[in-house]
Amino acid sequence: MSFQAYRTGGPAKRIGVYIGLTIFVVWSIAPIVWLVLSSVLEQSALIAQPPDLSPSNFTRENFVAVLASASALGRGVLNSLIVSLFSTALALTLGAPAAYALARLSVPYSNVIGFIILATQMLPGIAIAIPLFLLISYLGLIDSVLTLGVVYLSFNLPIVIWILRGFFLSIPIGIEKAAAVDGAGPLRTLWYVVLPISIPPMGAAAVFAFIEAWNEFFFALILTRQSAQTVPLAIAQFAGQYQTVFGQMMAAAVISVAPVIVIATIFRDQIIRGFADGMMKG
Amino acid sequence: MTDIRLKEVSKKFGSFQVCHSIDLDIKAGEFITLLGSSGCGKTTTLNMVAGLEDSTSGDILIAGRRVNDLSPVERDVAMVFQNYALYPHMTVAQNIGFNLKMRGVPPAIIREKIQKLAASLELGHVLERFPAQLSGGQQQRVAIGRALVREPRIFLFDEPFSNLDASLRVKMRAEVNQLHVQQNVTSIFVTHDQEEAMSISDRIAVMYRGRVEQVGTPEEIYARPATRYVASFIGSPQIELLDGILEESNGATFVRAGQTVLPVSIGRSKFKVGRAVEFGVRPEHVRVGENGIEGRVQILQPIGPATHVKIDTAAGAFIASVPGFLRVKPGDAVNIEIQPSDLHVFDKETGLRL
Repeated sequence: MSFQAYRTGGPAKRIGVYIGLTIFVVWSIAPIVWLVLSSVLEQSALIAQPPDLSPSNFTRENFVAVLASASALGRGVLNSLIVSLFSTALALTLGAPAAYALARLSVPYSNVIGFIILATQMLPGIAIAIPLFLLISYLGLIDSVLTLGVVYLSFNLPIVIWILRGFFLSIPIGIEKAAAVDGAGPLRTLWYVVLPISIPPMGAAAVFAFIEAWNEFFFALILTRQSAQTVPLAIAQFAGQYQTVFGQMMAAAVISVAPVIVIATIFRDQIIRGFADGMMKG
Repeated sequence: MTDIRLKEVSKKFGSFQVCHSIDLDIKAGEFITLLGSSGCGKTTTLNMVAGLEDSTSGDILIAGRRVNDLSPVERDVAMVFQNYALYPHMTVAQNIGFNLKMRGVPPAIIREKIQKLAASLELGHVLERFPAQLSGGQQQRVAIGRALVREPRIFLFDEPFSNLDASLRVKMRAEVNQLHVQQNVTSIFVTHDQEEAMSISDRIAVMYRGRVEQVGTPEEIYARPATRYVASFIGSPQIELLDGILEESNGATFVRAGQTVLPVSIGRSKFKVGRAVEFGVRPEHVRVGENGIEGRVQILQPIGPATHVKIDTAAGAFIASVPGFLRVKPGDAVNIEIQPSDLHVFDKETGLRL
C-alpha cells in the first residue's frame, strides 16, 4: 500500500468516515435548522404531524411581531452585549497575566494553583446559586448589568487562564530568554513578545467566553428583574402562562443566536487553532 | 574591556547536578569556547553567566563585580541563541532594534543604528521582512545583529551555527571571527563541534559531565590533552586508546601492551612501574612504513587529502592518517612507527595525563 493510500484508507474506510461525519453534521445542524424553520412557519403548520412545509405556510409574521415588541428583546440584546463584552474583555485582561505567571514565573505550587482554578469549574451552578443570590441581594446589587458581568467573569476567568496557560507553555522558551537578555522584564515580555504571538488562542478564549456569557440563562434569571434582563430571558418571555407563541419565540431565538454564529463562523480557523494550541499542553 | 570569573559555580536541577564547581578565568577581550558533548553542562554554564539561570552555589564576577543577583540586562550581556530565537511577529528591523527600544533609545537613533548594522551584515534589503521569510543564514545574521546593535560588554553564543549547513557554518565562523577581531569584546561561545571550537577560539574549555576537564589554547588542548576524555574527544579521526602497563629496564621507560613494548617519556614523579595506563597516538603521528610494530590493514578510508587506515597489531588497533592516497589493501601487512614524544599516556584509574 502506498503511503497516500495508507493515509486516506480504502473505499470502505472512507465511506465509514463519511457516514460518521454526516451523522455528526446532522446532529449538530438539525436543531438550528429546526429553529430557523420554526421561526418562519405558521404555528398551525409547525405543530401539524408531520410539520407542513408547503411554501404557502411560510411567513414573516413572527419576525414582524418580535420586532414590533422589540423593546424587550432590544434591551435584552443590549444587556447581553454589555455583559458579554465586559466579562470577556476583563477575563482576557486579568487571565493573560495570570496564565503567564502560572506558566513561566517561579510561582510556588503553580500546578496546584492551576488545578484549583480549574476545580472551581467543577461546582454545579446550582450549588452556589443561593449563597450568591443572598450575597448580591444583601449588597443591593440585584438587577444590575455590572453584577451579571462580574459573575460571568468569575466563570470565564478560569477557562481563559487554563487555555492561555496551555498555549504559553507551548511557546519555545528561547524567545522569552532572548527578550530577557534584550532587557524586557516579565510584564514587557508578555506585552511585546508573548501576547502578539498568542492572538489565535486569545481569540479562541474570547469567543468561548463571549458565547458562555451570551447564552447564560440560570444566573441571569435569579440575579435580574427587569432592567438587566439578557437575551435568553427576553426570549423566555414569549412563553406565557397560558400560551406559548413558538413562532415568535423561535424568531427571537434566531435573532439572538445570529451574532454568535456569525462570530464563530468568521473566526472559525482561529478558534480551532487556538483551542488546539491551548489544549496541547495541560 | 571586561573580564569574567567563575568561582566554584555549581548548578543543580532538583537532585541532578549539572555543573560541578566550575572555575574559569576569562580575560578581557578573550574569545573562549565551552566545548563538550550534549548534556555536559556547557549551555547551563552559559545561561548562568547570562543571568538566565541561577547558580546553586559559587560566584560569577563580571569586571570584578559579583553579578549573581543581577538580571541579564544589568549584566550587559548579549546572547545569540541556538535556534536564533527571533521574535516571529516582528520585522528584521524590529527584531534588531527591540533591545534598544526596551532601553528607551529614541526611535531616530534606533533607525540609524539598524541601518548602519544592516549594511555590514548584508541585511539591508530584508529589514522589513519577517523571520519566517528569511533563509537560515539570514536569520542567523539577524540574531547576531540583535546582539551587536547594543554594543554589549560581553557576547554569549549558544551553539549559534548548529542549524546551518556545513558551508554556511564555515562562512559564519569566519564572520564571527572577524567580528571579534574588530570589536574585541569578551566572548563565550558554546559548541559541541570541536573543529568549530579549534578554529575560532583563543582558548577552549573542554567540559565533561558538568566539570571542566581542561582549559587551554587549541594547540595545548590538541597536543597535550590533560585527560583521557579530552584526548579522545578532540581530534578527527579519534585517537584509539589502548590498555598498557608501565615498565622500566636499564633506566629506560616503556609501556607494555601484550607483547608490544613502546618507549615512553614520562616525568620521574609520575612514573611508577606496574602502573595501569591507557595510551594512544594521534593518527597523523602514526607513521606507516617498513619498520616498527607489525600489523595488518583492517579498514581503509581515503578522504582526499589523507587516507585513514585502521591497523591491527598485537597491542591493539591504531588509526593512522597518511597524507594522500595509500597504496595498500585491507589484509596487507604493514609496520608502524611511533615517536615516544607522540605517545599520550593516561592513568587508567584517574584518566589524568602522565
